[in-house]
Formats: sequence, C-alpha cells, structure tokens
Amino acid sequence: MKKKTVSILLAASMLAAMLAGCGGSGDSGKKDAAAGNQENAADDVADDADDTDTEDSADAADDGEEVTLTVLAGQSTTDAGIEDMIDEALAEKYPNITLEWECVDWGNDFQPKMQQYLQSGLPDIMIGKAQDVATYQALGVLGEIDGAYVDRGLDAAKENVTVDGKTYGLVYNALYQGVYYNRALFEENNWDIPKTQEDLQKIIDDCNAKGITPFASHMVDTWSIGNVTMQFMMNDVFNKTPDWGDKFRNGEVSFADSEEMKTAYNYNKLICDNTFPETFSTEQTDCDAKMVAGEAAMKVSGSWSIQNFLDIDESFDFGIFPFPNQTGDSKLIFEPNITVMTSAETEHQDAINKVLDVLTGDQELAVEIYDYTKTASMLKDVTPTFDNPSQTDIDAYAADGNIVDVTLGNNQLVWGGFQEENAKDVAAWLQGQESFEDALAASDGRVDASN
Amino acid sequence: MKKKKASGMERKMSRQYFILVLPGFIIFTIGLIVPLILSLRYSVTSWDGMSAEKVFVGFQNYIDLFHDRNFLDAWWFTIKFTIANTIIQNVVALLFAIALDSGIKAQKFYRAAFFIPCLISAVIVGFVWLKMFSNVLPAINGWLGTNFNFLLFGDSKTVLSGLLIANNWQWIGYWMLIYLAGLQSVPAELYEAARVDGAGPIKRFFNVTIPMLAPAITICVVGITTGSLKVYDLLVSSTKGGPGRASTSVIYQTYATAINGRQYGYGSAMTVTLVLMLLLVALIQVKGLKKKEVQA
Repeated sequence: MKKKTVSILLAASMLAAMLAGCGGSGDSGKKDAAAGNQENAADDVADDADDTDTEDSADAADDGEEVTLTVLAGQSTTDAGIEDMIDEALAEKYPNITLEWECVDWGNDFQPKMQQYLQSGLPDIMIGKAQDVATYQALGVLGEIDGAYVDRGLDAAKENVTVDGKTYGLVYNALYQGVYYNRALFEENNWDIPKTQEDLQKIIDDCNAKGITPFASHMVDTWSIGNVTMQFMMNDVFNKTPDWGDKFRNGEVSFADSEEMKTAYNYNKLICDNTFPETFSTEQTDCDAKMVAGEAAMKVSGSWSIQNFLDIDESFDFGIFPFPNQTGDSKLIFEPNITVMTSAETEHQDAINKVLDVLTGDQELAVEIYDYTKTASMLKDVTPTFDNPSQTDIDAYAADGNIVDVTLGNNQLVWGGFQEENAKDVAAWLQGQESFEDALAASDGRVDASN
Repeated sequence: MKKKKASGMERKMSRQYFILVLPGFIIFTIGLIVPLILSLRYSVTSWDGMSAEKVFVGFQNYIDLFHDRNFLDAWWFTIKFTIANTIIQNVVALLFAIALDSGIKAQKFYRAAFFIPCLISAVIVGFVWLKMFSNVLPAINGWLGTNFNFLLFGDSKTVLSGLLIANNWQWIGYWMLIYLAGLQSVPAELYEAARVDGAGPIKRFFNVTIPMLAPAITICVVGITTGSLKVYDLLVSSTKGGPGRASTSVIYQTYATAINGRQYGYGSAMTVTLVLMLLLVALIQVKGLKKKEVQA
C-alpha cells in the first residue's frame, strides 16, 4: 500500500512537472498579451507627458504614498556605488519613492538575470547598456521613455535606443575607447601619435629596443580581448561595411573569408606579442598600475581605465588615440554606457518618471556620477568637473568628426554568446590551443547566436 | 496468495512514516524532479530562454553535442580534473588520516588546520589561489631570488595543475576526517589477531585497514568523483574557464551556452548528458565498491 501511494505521488509529481513545462506557453501567452498592452502603456505615458507635467499625475507616488521600485542594475566596473548617490538625491526630492537595487556585473550577470526575470516578471527599472535595448525591445517588454526626459539628453544619445520613432532607453553617460598612452613617455621619446600601422610599429620597435613594454594588457579577463577585438572591427570592418553583421547572417561574408576580419583578429596577436609575458595572469588593476608606473607605453582600453589610472596616481598624464587601422583613417570609439530601461508592465509608471526626472534633471547628481565614474555626460548642459587628461584628445577627435558609435557593431554582433565566445577562441589561439583558422571557423559556426 | 491485511497499528505506523517522509518528498520533487523533467523537455527544443516560442527539434540538440568541439573539450577537461582529484584526494586524505591516527602530538591542531579550508566557499578559494599564483608566490620568488613558474593559471598547459592544487587544498581535510572516523572505528582486536598471525604493518594495512575502510572509501570516491564532475564555482573566480577554453568544465560550458549564449534548449541537452553521466558513474562506483565492503 505504502509503495502504491509513493508511486502514485511520484507519477503525479511528474505529470505536474510536465504540465508546468507546458505551462510555459501559457506564461508566454501572457507575455504576448503584455507585449500587446505595451503600446497602450507607452501611449499612456506619452499622453501623460503631453497633457500634464509628470508631477501632476495622480498615482500613488503623487499622493505621498510609499512606493518601492525594483531596479536591476547591470554595472560596469566603474559604476558600483552610483546607486547610493541616486538614492540620496531621490530621497531629497521624492522621499516616498524607494529604490530596491539589485546590482550585478553587466558582462557576466545582467543577461542571466534578465532571462530569469523574463519568466517571472521584469523589475520596474533596468540599467544596462545601449545595446540591450535592441535585444529586449524586440521581445516587447520595454516601456517607452517619456519624451520629456529623453529630450534632456544629447541627440547622439537617442540614435541606437530608438525603434520606430519610440525611445526605449535613456542613455546617461558614455565611454571612449581607443589606445590610452603615457603622455610623458611619448614626449620623452619623441613619439608622434600613430595614424597608420607603420607608425605604430615604429613605436613598438622603439619601445622594445628601449626595454619598455609597448602595451599593457590583462588577457586573463577574456572580456578585455572581446572589447579590443570590437574596437579593431569598428575601424577595419564596420567602417567599410557598416552592415557587415547583417551580411554575415545572410551568408554574404564570413570571418574565414574576410581579410578585414582576419586583420582585426590578428591585431590581438600584435598586442599579445608586445605585452607583459604574464598577461594571462595579470588582472586589470595590476595592469593599470604597471601602466601608471611607466612600465608600458600604451593600453588598448576604454574610459573604465581612467578611474584606475587616477586612483593610483591623480597626476598621471595620459592621452587617447584610435588604434590605427589599415587605411589610416581610424576613429575614436564612443560607447553609450549606462542606459536606463523601464518595464512595459510596471504598475508604477509615474514613480518611474520621477526617478527619470531626478536622473535627468538633477545636475548636481549627474556631475557627481560623471566625476565618480570618470565618464562623459550624455545630458545637455551637464559637464563633468573631474580633470580628464585625455579630454583634449577626445575634443580634438570630436571636432574633426572622428568619433564612431560602437553600438553599430554591438547591435549586429551581440556580446553574450557571440563576441564573448569569440574572445575565448581568440585567447585559445593566442595560447596555442587552436589555430587561427579554427578561431575564425568557430566564429562562423556560431552565426545563429550573433544576434 | 492472499495478502495479509494490515492491522490498525501497522496502518497507523504507515501513516506516521508517510507524514515524516512527505516534507522531504515535496522538497525533493520541487527542487529536483520538476527541474529535471523541465530540462528534459527543453532539451528537445531550440528555446533561447527568453522568447515565447519553444520550437520542438527532436534529438537534434543531442546529435549536435557530439559534433561540438567546445563541449567535447569541456568533457575532456572535466574527466582529467575528476580522475586526478579522485586519486590525489583519496590517497593524500588517507595518508593524513593514518598519520593523525598514529597518535602524533598536536593531533587536534592538525585536524583543525586541514579541515578549515573546506569551510571556505569555493569562490573565495578560487580568488585566494588566483592572488597566490599571480601576486604572492611571484613576490616570494623575487625575495628569494628564485625563478619558479608560479603563474599556473596563466598558461593552458599548467592551468589544470593550478586548479588541482586549489581544489585539493580545500577538500583533503574534509575527506581526511571521514577516513579518520573510519580508522578509529576499526576494532583493535582485528589488528591484535593479525599481529598474532604474524602480519607486519604493510600486511595489516592491506588486509585489515583497507577492507575495514571500504565503506569510507565508497563515500569518499563517490563524493570526490561526483563533486569534481560538477566543478564550477572554483573556476568562476579563478580562471573563468580560461586561458582560452583550457579550464572550461561541462557545467561552465553549459552555463555559458544556456544562459550567456541564449541557447537554453541546447544547454539543457548538455545538462541531461551530465546528469546521466553522474548517475552512471555513481552507480558503477557504488556497485563496485559495495562488493568490497566487509562488516566488522
């Protein structure tokens, strides 16, 4: 009898499991419905913006009723800590709104968390990168950002987060990527900013002759290989073929057959051959410390390194230039970074709008965040006050129109599952675990995961 | 043959047993059976983990697994890691246990010192050894003027050795305690009888100690093997599966594929193969080792 009861229970639980599995479609149905409703929700928000000031809207937040908004923050290494600044500013202006933060590493954990929340319901606010908008907007789960707040940002901030005229992300700051160089070393050795590969090779040769490591790098972090590879692709591949990623999916081009793509991959070898021998054991902080100490002349990196550089030595003088490409017309890379997205299904749209109001309207808070993260502003009339030694270089490239938005490449060849995996193959190739051809073929093999 | 009808007392007892088993049964079902069945279901779809569509693809995911070089490499790394761990940890833990059981001084201190690392999270252990290999040991090299290569995590040829050092440092103390408990439960009369029969220390070890330790050996071998096959957290904080893919385990590859790579269906197929392998290995080991167990 006992055995019978237990076997009936087991069978029942398995049946329940199967039904739960099938239930996924039901949930999905709900999601579809939610996606369908999203337009209405977005329209409502837009109407609110048109008809009334957001502060006049009559939801719980206006009534002074306590509202708690959930926030999933996918942070870069520079961002940890800004949540306290936002909390403080929000408490001052809207004390009845509380943010319940869940801060995760963008590179490793943002995508898994979003995957989880897509099943159980999204947080009210999500903070990721501009490239996330393309991924999640396509699923119909993002709410439209009220135009009142979008308009407080620079026009360049809207480009890659706007779909069919609707903006789904509020881009808050930006990073610049390129080759950071030790200005003092360059001056001492009379090195000019290289524009071509030949110019760069001369500096590398001179460095090696003088016992200076040409490039600082930390290849133990595979993400850094992925990052620099995209920088190389932007200037050698996407500058010639802006829709290379789409052509790749259509079968018109491939990694194995594209000379430009091979060149971009090969730059990793150039770095690897001219960096610390222990690069695969060197962490970012140690690497940046060596750069500041003058052990290396250059580092292919992004604005996230500035925080480390200046924390280690606030008088460290450095500049930035784009990694030279084959045609000598490289552009500095610009990456919209902190991007605020909202849930289409939120029940607290007005409270969210108030948070957006604080983020975009509180200039003191914005400057505090930019100064802390050492990043560039994407808000109109807001300029960071920290001393950025590379700013003069950035301004010069901007004045000449020599800046390109990396979202173009990141939207076509996504990070998670594609760039990230390709970077592992590049590392395996650099370590001699696989051939160059195998690394290229592996990238071609994951075409389905590229978007 | 007619079954004997249960008495009122037996029925009451059965009910009590059933009630006692129920909470564990529910937790086991929700935590293990349901996800396992869901995994089986997802493994025959091309679901990306996010969209509404879960397209049925039959056994295509399983067929693809056999052609997936990264998955096969991950298995190869996992197998090497498992075999080396199983041998090293069992042998060293047993030797430590024998040493501690021999009545050496400060036995309690050594026991605590060997055991403490297993109380630390594997994530912390990974981070500690990353710092050891990257900063601490090379600095000692510098002070001593020696030139040992301590950058074990930085080279695909040495990364396995580095991980084995970290993993064995953490777990040997734990298995040592199990062996120590086994050694202390061996009746002294058996050794006495063996001595009377003229058996020397080596014969006593192989003919008395080892057979009497067979249940402990079963626990340790199965525990170390299945634990090593599931290695993940140590890798996350130390090598991140690298350099390249040199230390990517099956679970690491599964996570990267299913979650970061948004191939939930394919990743589920990887999980199912791992579960089957775990069951198979545990079954073979338990069956094989149980035969060798003797009762005192």
